[in-house]
Amino acid sequence: MFAVDGKVVPKFAAVSRIRRAGHDVAGYQRPEVLAHIDEIRSYVESDNPMIPNAVVLAFDKRVRFESALGPTGTYTRPGEIIIPMENGWEEEDKPGFIVDGQQRLAAVREAEVEAFPLCVTAFITDDLKQQTEQFILVNSTKPLPKGLIYELLPNTVARLSSALNKRRFPAELLTLLNRDENSPMKGLIQTPTNPQGVIKDNSILRMLEASLSEGVLYRHKTKEGADVEAMFSLLCAYWGAVRIVFEDAWGKPPKKSRLMHGAGILSMGHVMDWVGDRHRGKRLPTVDIFARDLGPLRDVCRWTDGVWDFGPGQQRKWNELQNTSKDIQLLANHLLVQYKTRVGSAA
Amino acid sequence: MKFFFPDSQDLVDPGFDFEKERWSEARIRQRDDRYAHEIFRKRAFDGLLVSKGIVDGFGGVGSRYSLGQRNRLLRNGVREFFRLDNAPYDLPVMGDCGAFTYVKERVPPYTVDQVIQFYSDCQFDFGLSVDHVIFEFKSTWDADEAAVPPEIRERQAITLQLAREFLDRHRKSKPMFSAVGVAQGWSPNSYANAVKALQSMGYRYIAMGGMVPLKTPEILASLAAVAGVRKPSTKLHLLGVTRTEAIPRFASYGVASFDSTSPLRQAFKDDRDNYYTLDGAFTAIRIPQVEGNATLQKLVLSGAVDQAIARRLERACLAVMRDYEAGKAGVKDVVRVLMEYEHLARPHRSDSPVSKRRRSSTDNESAYREVLEVAPWRNCACEVCRQLGHHVILFRGAERNRRRGFHNLYVFYRRLQRELGRSAEAAA
Ligand SMILES: [Zn+2]
Repeated sequence: MFAVDGKVVPKFAAVSRIRRAGHDVAGYQRPEVLAHIDEIRSYVESDNPMIPNAVVLAFDKRVRFESALGPTGTYTRPGEIIIPMENGWEEEDKPGFIVDGQQRLAAVREAEVEAFPLCVTAFITDDLKQQTEQFILVNSTKPLPKGLIYELLPNTVARLSSALNKRRFPAELLTLLNRDENSPMKGLIQTPTNPQGVIKDNSILRMLEASLSEGVLYRHKTKEGADVEAMFSLLCAYWGAVRIVFEDAWGKPPKKSRLMHGAGILSMGHVMDWVGDRHRGKRLPTVDIFARDLGPLRDVCRWTDGVWDFGPGQQRKWNELQNTSKDIQLLANHLLVQYKTRVGSAA
Repeated sequence: MKFFFPDSQDLVDPGFDFEKERWSEARIRQRDDRYAHEIFRKRAFDGLLVSKGIVDGFGGVGSRYSLGQRNRLLRNGVREFFRLDNAPYDLPVMGDCGAFTYVKERVPPYTVDQVIQFYSDCQFDFGLSVDHVIFEFKSTWDADEAAVPPEIRERQAITLQLAREFLDRHRKSKPMFSAVGVAQGWSPNSYANAVKALQSMGYRYIAMGGMVPLKTPEILASLAAVAGVRKPSTKLHLLGVTRTEAIPRFASYGVASFDSTSPLRQAFKDDRDNYYTLDGAFTAIRIPQVEGNATLQKLVLSGAVDQAIARRLERACLAVMRDYEAGKAGVKDVVRVLMEYEHLARPHRSDSPVSKRRRSSTDNESAYREVLEVAPWRNCACEVCRQLGHHVILFRGAERNRRRGFHNLYVFYRRLQRELGRSAEAAA
């Protein structure tokens, strides 16, 4: 193992890129994934970046290790690694191959930084098979489950990938909803650390994201970021009203109640945005206001038994609604049409 | 003559970084993006056309709107959703059903009530009656009535029946929008008959449907037949028709408005005419993204094209264009680099027949030389060209291609005003 300036690595190590050699496929690396590289590059260019995991290189026999004097027989020995390097080398002349870390190295190569330290784990072999084996081994580890990443997100401040950055704020709201004493959803959201919850974390995240870009939560975004307190109390008021109006369907596992199922949470999220806009004159509608607006929907909902009536020829048993965009759209449209005719239009 | 621009959620990210090719951080689609009318201070069109078919999606045609966006449009209406009040001029909005999305159905999938509800929810200024498109056209059918296929007759009958119901409901419920009748036909006389029927129902504004695939003489022949029955007070709208050269004649037949997406679409759909000027068009310079261009991506994955070389050439193309703009590179250098990348990205394969419509590299070479020598973007006063410089001529990614489409709208509108003998500045 050794440390090196990542900008220097391309001078002595090549990517064994998958390519056609006559009729056969030679090499083993995939092409660079530019979007991925771009994400890492932004991170490398950010404040206080660090890449703690080592890249893996395979050297041919031209590379030597000369150990220094000292104790032998332990796992580690200090010494000097001697890597030949020449300007103007073609890729195939280089003594090193990148087994793992080509995206990271490409990001460092392209980043607008003077230098960037990287840890390297290297082994010496002339055997291409061994390199390929190592490549498969390091690339077949299982990624972290998404849910766990989302739970860890609110406690991070570093620049993460854009996709994760977008989820950070919804994940923060989700944590509040699941933990805060005042939340009607306290303990109800299923996460890796709260497996007994009944609502899938992903349903809540999607409901929050939809409202943050299209609905009432968007109204509480500010130039500086977001008014978390306002958003949280609005969510508590609305979902508190849902709990009151649909008391029988609340808190049950999705197999027994479609309200707690993805289709229920997401379509009721669209209703939240509609009701919220109807009361856009008020900054924060109360539980009572929401409950009064939702009351007339009680008669048309079939969360726990019976048959939904979506119009001529469109009847669905309560437990036939699935967590698909088609079913969510069907249910949301139905609820909105019923809401509009029974209660009223948006302001 | 008013030009309506059909919405298909064509937006650009105002914070897009053209050097790093990145969208702005934390951008929310549509909310943080800009429509053409938010980019140009001067007019590029007279109004918007919004189709129910595009908003809802139908069958195989997916919606351009997310469920959340669609609900917000229905809640807040078109003025707020499209931020029309950000434009320093008035932009009326016309709604239609988007009959092309359900052209394969036997009858339209919407009821008159649903459509009226949609127009009222969205707060349109004009609403078109529910129609069913007829794509067949034969002038000879006028002499031989019996030859007209029954299903085509039925489509016209359905369209007229729905127009009658539509006007009836409109009179009863008195929504805020004005009702526009749609005429469908298969020949000059059948169009005239449809217009006659719609007039007797009480329509004073009539949209001519199904004319998109017609040749200019066929459109003119139909308008001439319609002129025989048209009351002087009846205004016509041409759905999806752009023929600037025929505009003065259209006007003489009572055409008050039309709509078309082609100025925008040609920016990235046309083989040749991508960048409009007042008197013609230039070809945009193709610098495909190594990642993001499906053809190139396949070549890279299969190992036929070396990704590193492709990226190097892609960058060299961008750099040489930048140098050209700065006066540091000549046309010859630019074309040489562009063609080197083009040969790699579109390798000529002898085993696959090259379609006749596809342009050859030599075509591109002379087209590029031409556009570089003229550098038309340097002489354009529109906001897009002022801000983007040479990036506007690069055929590459939605952010550049759509902005070039916006520029085309701007130029198209000025061509139109010239055809009508007006100055665009006076019209704005
Ligand atoms: Zn321009």
